[in-house]
Amino acid sequence: MAVEGSEYAIETIALTKIFRDWWGRAKVIAVDKLDLKIRHNEIYGFLGPNGSGKTTTLKMLLGLLHPTKGAAFLLGGNGRDPRINERIGYLPEDSYLYRYLTARETLDFYGRIFGIPAKIRRSRIDSLLEMVGLTGMANRAVGTFSKGMARRIGLAQALINDPELLILDEPTSGMDPIGTRQIKDLLVHLARRGKTILLCSHLLADVEDVCDRISILYGGRMQVEGTVESLLRHREEKQIVTGQISTAALQQIRQIIEREQSRCDISSPMDRLEEFFIRTVTAAQEQGQATSGALSTTKIGEFLTDQSIKPNILDELVAAGAPQIHKPQQADTEKSEPRTVEPQPDTDLLERLANAGLGGPRTETVAPQESLDAGGGEDHTQTVKRDVLEGLIGRSESDDGRTETVNPDRAGDKDDA
Amino acid sequence: MHSIWAVARNTIAQALRMKVAGVVVILLLVLLPLMSTILVGDGTLQGKLQTFVSYGLSLMMMLLCILTIAISTYTLSNDLRRKHIFLVVTKPISRCKILLGKLCGILILDAALLVVFAALIYGLTILIPHLTDAPDAQVKQARDEFFTARAGLTDPEDEDEIESRAWKIYRELKGSDQLPQDMTVQRALTELKAHQKMLARSVPVNARKVWEFHNVRVRDPDDTLFVRFKYEVAATPVDDKVHGVWDVGDNRQVERGLGGWKTPIARVTRSDVTRTMLEIEVPARVIAEDRYVGVVFHNTSLNETTVIPQEVELLYRAGTFTGNYMRAVLLVGFRLAFLAALGVSASTWLSFPVAFLLTMVVFLVGMVSGFVGESIESLGVLGNMVYTFTLKPVVWMLPRLDGEYSPTRFMVMGRLLTWSFLAQVGAIMVLAKATLLTVIGMWIFSNREIAKTVV
Repeated sequence: MAVEGSEYAIETIALTKIFRDWWGRAKVIAVDKLDLKIRHNEIYGFLGPNGSGKTTTLKMLLGLLHPTKGAAFLLGGNGRDPRINERIGYLPEDSYLYRYLTARETLDFYGRIFGIPAKIRRSRIDSLLEMVGLTGMANRAVGTFSKGMARRIGLAQALINDPELLILDEPTSGMDPIGTRQIKDLLVHLARRGKTILLCSHLLADVEDVCDRISILYGGRMQVEGTVESLLRHREEKQIVTGQISTAALQQIRQIIEREQSRCDISSPMDRLEEFFIRTVTAAQEQGQATSGALSTTKIGEFLTDQSIKPNILDELVAAGAPQIHKPQQADTEKSEPRTVEPQPDTDLLERLANAGLGGPRTETVAPQESLDAGGGEDHTQTVKRDVLEGLIGRSESDDGRTETVNPDRAGDKDDA
Repeated sequence: MHSIWAVARNTIAQALRMKVAGVVVILLLVLLPLMSTILVGDGTLQGKLQTFVSYGLSLMMMLLCILTIAISTYTLSNDLRRKHIFLVVTKPISRCKILLGKLCGILILDAALLVVFAALIYGLTILIPHLTDAPDAQVKQARDEFFTARAGLTDPEDEDEIESRAWKIYRELKGSDQLPQDMTVQRALTELKAHQKMLARSVPVNARKVWEFHNVRVRDPDDTLFVRFKYEVAATPVDDKVHGVWDVGDNRQVERGLGGWKTPIARVTRSDVTRTMLEIEVPARVIAEDRYVGVVFHNTSLNETTVIPQEVELLYRAGTFTGNYMRAVLLVGFRLAFLAALGVSASTWLSFPVAFLLTMVVFLVGMVSGFVGESIESLGVLGNMVYTFTLKPVVWMLPRLDGEYSPTRFMVMGRLLTWSFLAQVGAIMVLAKATLLTVIGMWIFSNREIAKTVV
């Protein structure tokens, strides 16, 4: 039974799943007394190595598996209740689409199950196909799609009902960087509209970029849980990113820092490969080069964005049950505040820098985040707006010689800000 | 309903993508017209028609049944195996509706294919007389005996009288110690009853036998009646023919000896071969006011042997060929519905090959259900509880597809397939058995773990 005002969008109580062998003997404890509480309007990252129980937990939440012990609730109800299912979107770890249906037929099939009126259904399908860059392949059988293209259609079907709660299992698996970036932007947009998202992924950078809170599962047990910032920020270290400055200025900075008796590493920042890749493909697209694959697009289905709510009365009626924005519960649990984490500048250090009379434009300082990715190849530098720093040091410079670093994964936020 | 319809549409699309569906459609499209030209039967027009309809309907039934079994056992088990079902069950549709949608899709496809191919067989059957240069007599025979729907009446034998005579003789033989030592009572009685039945049917030389038929309802008083029979003889006649005299009408008028008969009595004198089904045609005016018709056989002295007329039946036109054909097609539809329900139900808990095998076995057993039923029923003589609660329900659940439940038999013989019979079969095969199977399937599917893993 759905509970409209339930405190949590997803809740498990001592959820346990034991897989048995053919003789009924307990063999594998996949999930062990898991207590999960995900608030409304939260992007929650569910992490863990292979076989840690992530997908099993999702299957129990959705009623695909029966818990051995404990209970699982989605939107305050049972994951097998069609009234609950009306309000959720699910993308499994593999797309599991009917190979003989075309992309359009696939979305039409799931739209029909939701009982979406034909006119709205057609409009949404067009919108979703455009969003996932498969308009040109709308009438091609899904069986002929690459894995990444199938994932795009899989994601589109999960969004056909404009769900209140989105459960995504490895959504970016097999996707190219542009598709990955687009999904991350989409998740941020959806969360802004009040959706709750449970994101289960191995791609730690993706989770890190978009999630408010994460948990790491191992051996079916939750090992750690908290906000991304609280878990990753190195509060004892600071990082400064600047534009082109003289060796003398660098020396002065080094001296100031050494007076603070702290360590100082100076190097030139690198572009993120994701940014570089996107720039290259976008340039090729702009030149009109043909492709038989998915088109890279930054569009988001109109009915999924804030602007889409107004034009169609029918759509409003259909969507009436789904897009209610739930305010996060302020109860006893910690609040994962912002999706757009604006780093706060270290004002003391900035003041000292300004007083030292350093020349040239300067960017702000933030604490570097430790990458979740074991490979650790990417530098997730958080920045603040350049004018803040300029204001603080009392200067306004031309574009020349400036280094502007933005968090690419917050680009959507920044654009909308 | 929208979700059921969505699943049904998808099931149809899935079925049409199966190669087996294409093979069945192509086979029927090629073979049916071919059969209508190459089959000749016994060389007569009626023989050709009977052979074509018999083989044509049987082929269509067999292929559609196999197709139905294949689709019904494949669609859900494939969704489960390939995990397509993960996406469907997490949508706002109950598992019962998914099953109903699958079933509806299969039934819609079956109905479409059945209508198309039944119409093809019907068209070819109607066309055959026009394409065959048959003599008028054969055309008339085909019209009277094939392009019709005749009801048949029989004069049941007095089983009680036969049994009492058998018991009387048994006691006499037992008293005089003439029975073999190792012969059981049951076997002795069976043989004695068979002997008495043969005696009751036998007509010695210069004797006669009467068969009485009541409640004969013809649609048109100017229509005709048919007496159908075959001869057996105690000793083979010299010319291998039986010379018989048949009186058909209200024979009670003769027995009353009163003049001024109200209805005529038709007398037919003819010589016929033995051991072959024969028909005598007489006008329907011979029917008495109380819808009585007597059939009298006189064994003339020309025969010089006892004649045993067998399977004597009075036939009259009670419907049209087209109406009868439509009911026969509906009967085929019932068995397809049963098989679809069985297949879908089986695939809720069995993988495709196992569910297919189970459903095929049930189908094949249903084709000889009379034999199987009787064989298993003989175990019931023991009357034990094990039989009552194990084999008996299984036997009841088996479909009856042979004998009187075969639509081919009705069409080949030009026999009336009544609406009441159709309703009875529909109630048992579809409303009771298929519904029960579907409900069982729904219960299993609703309670099973969709993503179950055995380690």
